[in-house]
This record gives sequence, C-alpha cells and structure tokens, in this order.
Amino acid sequence: MAYYLGIVQNIGIHTLLGLSAYLLLLTGQLSLAQVGFFAIGAYTSGILTVIFGLSIFPALFAGALTAGVFAFLVGIPVLYVRGLMLVVATIAFSEIVRLFFFNLNWRAMVNGVEVGPDSTQGFREIRYFAANGWEQIEVVSLIWFFVGAVLALLWWLDRVRAGAVLRAVGEDELAAQSSGINLTRVKVAAMTGGGIIAGIGGGLYAHSTTYVDHNTFTILLATFAVSYPILGGLSSVFGTLIAVIVIQGVMIEGMRFLGDFRNILFGLLIILAMNFRPNGLLDGNTVAALKRRLFFLKAKR
Amino acid sequence: MTAVLALSQLAKHFGGVRAVDRLDLQVERGEVFGLIGPNGSGKSTTVNLVCGIFPQTGGTIELDGVELGRLQPHQRIEAGISRTFQNIRLFGGLTVWQNIWVAWRDDETGWASNWFGGSRHRRAQIQELLAFSNLDHRSEELAGNLSFGEQRRLELARAVAAKPKLILLDEPAAGMNSEEVTDLKKRILKLKQSGVTVLLVEHVMELVMSVTDRIAVLNFGKRIAHGTPQEIQQNELVQQAYFGSAENAK
Amino acid sequence: MGFDHIDVLQSVIDGILFGSTYAVLGLGFTIIFGAMHKLNLAYAASAIAGAYVGIGVATLLPVSPYIVFIIGPVASGLLGLILYTCCFRLMPDGNQLAPLMASIGALFFIDEIIIHQTAGSPISFPALFEDSFFEIGEFGIRGDLVFVMLASLVLMALLLLLLFKSKLGLATRAVSQQVVAAQLCGIQTHKTNATTFIMAGVLGGFAGCLAAAAVGVLSPLLTIPLTVKGLIVTVIGGLGSIPGAIIAGFMVGAFENLFLLLRGVNERDIFVFLLLFVFLVFRPNGIFGKTIDRD
Repeated sequence: MAYYLGIVQNIGIHTLLGLSAYLLLLTGQLSLAQVGFFAIGAYTSGILTVIFGLSIFPALFAGALTAGVFAFLVGIPVLYVRGLMLVVATIAFSEIVRLFFFNLNWRAMVNGVEVGPDSTQGFREIRYFAANGWEQIEVVSLIWFFVGAVLALLWWLDRVRAGAVLRAVGEDELAAQSSGINLTRVKVAAMTGGGIIAGIGGGLYAHSTTYVDHNTFTILLATFAVSYPILGGLSSVFGTLIAVIVIQGVMIEGMRFLGDFRNILFGLLIILAMNFRPNGLLDGNTVAALKRRLFFLKAKR
Repeated sequence: MTAVLALSQLAKHFGGVRAVDRLDLQVERGEVFGLIGPNGSGKSTTVNLVCGIFPQTGGTIELDGVELGRLQPHQRIEAGISRTFQNIRLFGGLTVWQNIWVAWRDDETGWASNWFGGSRHRRAQIQELLAFSNLDHRSEELAGNLSFGEQRRLELARAVAAKPKLILLDEPAAGMNSEEVTDLKKRILKLKQSGVTVLLVEHVMELVMSVTDRIAVLNFGKRIAHGTPQEIQQNELVQQAYFGSAENAK
Repeated sequence: MGFDHIDVLQSVIDGILFGSTYAVLGLGFTIIFGAMHKLNLAYAASAIAGAYVGIGVATLLPVSPYIVFIIGPVASGLLGLILYTCCFRLMPDGNQLAPLMASIGALFFIDEIIIHQTAGSPISFPALFEDSFFEIGEFGIRGDLVFVMLASLVLMALLLLLLFKSKLGLATRAVSQQVVAAQLCGIQTHKTNATTFIMAGVLGGFAGCLAAAAVGVLSPLLTIPLTVKGLIVTVIGGLGSIPGAIIAGFMVGAFENLFLLLRGVNERDIFVFLLLFVFLVFRPNGIFGKTIDRD
C-alpha cells in the first residue's frame, strides 16, 4: 500500500511541476526555469519548518511566494527578449539556483540537534509530517488537494478572458500586441503564476521526501516539467495530468525491470512524440472531437 | 475638421534604404484616407511605424495631438489606433468568438471583470459585432478553419472591437473577388458612418477611388501627390510612378 | 588569501586559452542558429559523444591514441546529420517548440547512453604536449593550452573560409537569409541545412576532443556545463553573430578561470551564468547583435 501511495504522491508533485510549465507554455514560452522555482520552494519551506519551527501551511505559502517573487524578477529581463533566448536564460537560471543550494550551508541548533542545509551533503531532517503525526494517506491527500485546486484554477482560467489572452499571445505575438495586449506583462504574469505553482510543488516535495539535495534539481527535471504539457498537449489541462501518469506511473514505475534504460527511453520518447505528434496528445482537433463525442453521448441519454 | 493622425517629417531607414523619407501626412477626423503607391513605396512601412512595430528613424507621429513615437505598440492601441494585416494574422487556435473577446475594449467595467469576468455579460455585444460581420453563425468555429473571406471579415471585426478612433487597413482587399470587394466597400463606409476615421492602404484602385475622401500617393518613401480621388486620377506624376510614363499608360 | 595581479592575469590568460574551445562550440551553435533560426540543444552532447566514440575506437584498435582527433570529429559530424534528420528535418515550419523539445530529448538520449555505457565514471583522455611549458617573464603558459588555442583558431579560420569563400558556404548563407528566395534559385534547403549540421558537428567534435584533452578526462558530467556555456557564448555574442560568438567564447573562458581563482570551483559557474543575466539586462542583443527590425 505504501508503495502505491508513494507513486500517487510522486505523480501529484510532478503534475504540479508540469502545470507550472503549462501556464507559461500557453503564451508560447518554453521555460526550463521551473525546476529552479521548485528548488526555491523546497528549500525555503524546508528551512522554515526545520530551522524556524513554522507550521506546514505558512511554510508552503512562504515557499510559493518566494518562488513567485523570483519568477517575477527573472521574468522581466528574460521575457522582454524574444523566443529562443528564453530557453538559454532559463537553463542558466536553474543552474544558478542549483549551484546556490549546492553551496548553501545554513546549520542551526534546534532542540539540541544540528539541522539545516549542509551544502554538498544536502538538506536532511525535513520531518514535519512525521514529527506531527501525519499519516502517509494524509500527506497524499494534502498534495492532491493542491493538485486539484491548481487544475481547477487553470481550467477556470480558460473560461475567462485572461485565458483567451494567454493563448492569443501564444498564437501570434504581433497580432496580440496589435490587439492592445501588453506582451511583457502577460508573459511575466504567467511566469509568476508558474513560479508560485512550482514553489508549492517544491515545498510539498521537500516535506514528503524529508530530504533534498542539489542533484534532484537538474536540467533533467526541468525537461520533465516541460515535457508533460508538451507531450500531453496544450489544449487542455488534463493533457498534462495524463502525460504525468503515463511517464511517471507507467514508464518510470511500471517499467522498473528496464533499469537505467528508462532514462534513455525518456529521451527517445520525446524525439518520437515530437516527430509524430508535434502538438501533443490532446491537440486542438482531438479535444474538439472528444468534446463532440461526450456531448453526443449526453444527447443520446 | 481637425487632424486625427498627423505625420510630420516621418522617416525610416533600413540600412541605406529610405523606406519612408520625410513624410508629411494629415488624416482628418471622420474621413476615409487612401494611401496608395507602387510596391515597395513605403505604404506598409508607414502603417507599421504608426503602430510601433519598429521605431522610426526620425520625425513625429501624433494621434489627436498626442505624440506616439515613444509608445509601445499596445499603448498605441489604447491611445485609439487599431489595424489589420496585409497577410491575415488571426489567432488560429482560438474560436471566432475568442478572437474578438481578446481585442474587446471596455472602459466601463473594471480591471477584474475585464480580465477574469466570464463570457456571459459580453456575449450580446460581441455577437452583435459578429452579426455585423456576417460571422454570427460561425462564432464557435476555430478561426483557423474559416474561409479566406471570413478570415478577412473577422480580422476587420477584431480591429473594430478595440473601439479605435483611427483604423488602419493594410491591403484589406488583397486576394478578394469583386463580390467580396463590394462587400468590403460597404463595411468601410459603415465604419465611416459610425464616426471612425479610416486609413486605407490598397492596391485595388476600384475600391480606393470609390470609398476614399482624399488620397496620398507614395513613391520611394516620399509623398508625390495628394488630393481627391478625381485629382489623383488626373495626376501625371502618379501615372508615371505606376506605369513608368504617362504615354505607356495610354 | 590575497591575490596579486600576476595570479589574476595568469588565470585570465589560461582562461582565454581554454576559452577557445567555448568559442568553437559557440560558433557551432551560431551557424546552426544562423541557418535555421533554431537552437540545437543536443549540439554539445554530440560533441562529447564524438569524443567518446573516438576513445572507444582508439582503445579497440591497435593504433595511436591520437586517432581520437580524427574519429571524434567524424563521429560528431555523423551525429549532426542524425540529429538534423531526427529532430529538425520533419518538423512543421511554424512550430518552434517541437524541434527545440526534440533536441532536448536528443540531449538526454545521448547523455544517458554515455552514462549507461561508461557506468557514469570518467575515462582518461590522451593529453597533448603535457610536458611543454613556456615561461614569459613572470607568466607560465601551458603548452597543451597553447595547442588548444592554435588548433581552435585554425578550425575557426577554416570554417569561415568555407562559409565565405566556397559555393557551399554561399548556399548556406543564402538559406539563412531568405529561405524561399534560396529555394527559387535552385538551392535544396534540406541538403544545405544537413551540410550545416555536419560542418557544425565536425567542428564540435574537435572542440569536444580539445576540451577533453585539456581537462585530461572525458565524463558525462561535462555535457550540461558545456551545453550551457556554449549557449551562453552564443547569446552573449548576439544570437547568430559569428564574430560575437568567437569573442564571447574567449570572454567566458577568461571570466570562468578568473572566478575559479577568486571563488573556487564550486561557485565558479554561478558567476559565469550570472554574466549572462548581466548581458540580458544591459545588452540584450549581445556584443555584436543587431536589433531585429523588419518582420
């Protein structure tokens, strides 16, 4: 049971990571900075519960906020320049964050024990859940509460004008600008929102695994984050969820017998998917067809 | 009458090429103003300069007395300009309805309802605009799936949705058959009736001569003639610019 | 710890010499970007992979280990062709994300295969002129780094000659400036693009071998740092600018070595990556970048 709950927990956290990239991808921007925001959320909220003894909710909130602030600050120069430069700048950002935590040494004595991030040794002792008697099922529920909330929020966003504006920027920047849209503001807002989502994900990740180190927050994880929405398709938030379940649940967990071939498979999967389904699994026409079929079924009943 | 758009000594150089060369132009309020000239004479560059797609090399652009030169493109839309593109640029993955919604400007509702309000309270107004453009039956279709003529009409509707003082039409009749041109003519005149000033860049002379009040002719980025459609038709310089010389034209 | 100006200058000189490999990699990224206006993120990985293939062949065959400097570039050139075919050739024109994403996939595909084959541990690489050492006044200069520098300069000169003096280069530049016009002149864009990828690949293979020779080992841990530094060089130089990429390469090399001296190996790269943000804020179009004007 614990094993399966672990998988569900992992899928939830990766879904948050994927959705944070999804929000920015709607505006046509590929960001590999999500892992940086994820790391900032993880370390910030971890430090707050471990060293400062905060409760989990304010710590998660502070982690999300810090990640959001960094996303905002990085977003302004990075999103002002166009297109492919963003990819380079966000890779550099994520590596800066990783190296920063690689070097971060912040040890403190709490209740007679030395705790905190210990540079290359990583940050252990993030045991808020265990120390406060949370069952694993409760932790999983908390994670999925946030997943559900973010999914619902992004689903709702597509039903108001802001969602149409995000997608309009992704479709054609010049036309969007000529319709009175401030491109930089829309993109920075999406980046900030994505940063907040990744920050929550990071905080939940740190507390549910109790241990983080810089090796987790590599460009490989950043690639996972963007590949979920891209492979799943951008026409619906559920594409991202499906992609996480397929990649994390089926490919990484279900194919354990393949060993490290799974990582090779991941690269190959991306190449193949981009050649045969460049717009992802749930692209515009597929979603339209699905909707038609659902409505058709409804009408029959 | 007062000038809505005033260009003075406007210039744009691409390297050594003077695409627009010290251009003076005044578009009066409520008129349909034609901007014509041979290919490469700087018409589209002028439209792009007014919209702020790239910065001018020199000169000023004023809208209702406000200098636009330093404003970002989206700020110029807020100032009261909107446009269509020579090669249609719609949001192909959005529905017809959403295309209008994105550009829709409503100064009365607040910031929150403007961005996060649902579609319901705008539906009637937008549907009305779509009906004017003969697109109301297609409102849930993806813009990318529309026919060429429908796409042209949608782009015009999207430009109108921004509630502009001045609307810039960059070759709206390109690729249209004569029936569609007649339809476009009606729409432009209706726009004029509703009080919008129109700057029309066009190659289709039939359209330009029948809807415009005044015309300016560009060649090599310079204004070589201006006047009423009748005056322009008689002008020898214009004929030379288009046909090489007046003799060849006959 | 105090550093006198000799230490600082010495580290800058070493950095500039080693930076020539970054210049070569940056040039490779740049000509691919110039040709297609797309980034090939698997480029540095293919350079490292080429060096690995070279090492593999050199250990299998009873020949001089220096054969890696021939096999490596050839293998990288071939990989370039494969990358073009798998990640760029079939992608729809308007879609920017798909080829970018595919090349990231290829980056990890190549990287993970290397890790799988070598169990992630570094292998030693044949060093060049490791005993030679020049002393000029108070400065000492490593002979192998001088060789790396000279070889890089020759390579870059050869590439520029090819680009600007041959018919092939003319076609490449034509495609990069106006695809449709080039096609109308009878240039086969796919063929030209593939050639560009092969040229860049060969170039990258040399750079990979030179970098590995200077470091002394070849390791999958080199892939991501070389990718990021190559990209930073490309951006700082101004996307698509050839002289910019070359100068930025030397600059990043010098900067990196200087911060190795000042801040140590763990923090060095932070400052190199921050340099990119300094440029993004104050000079977003790079050293020689032109502002994009006309649509």
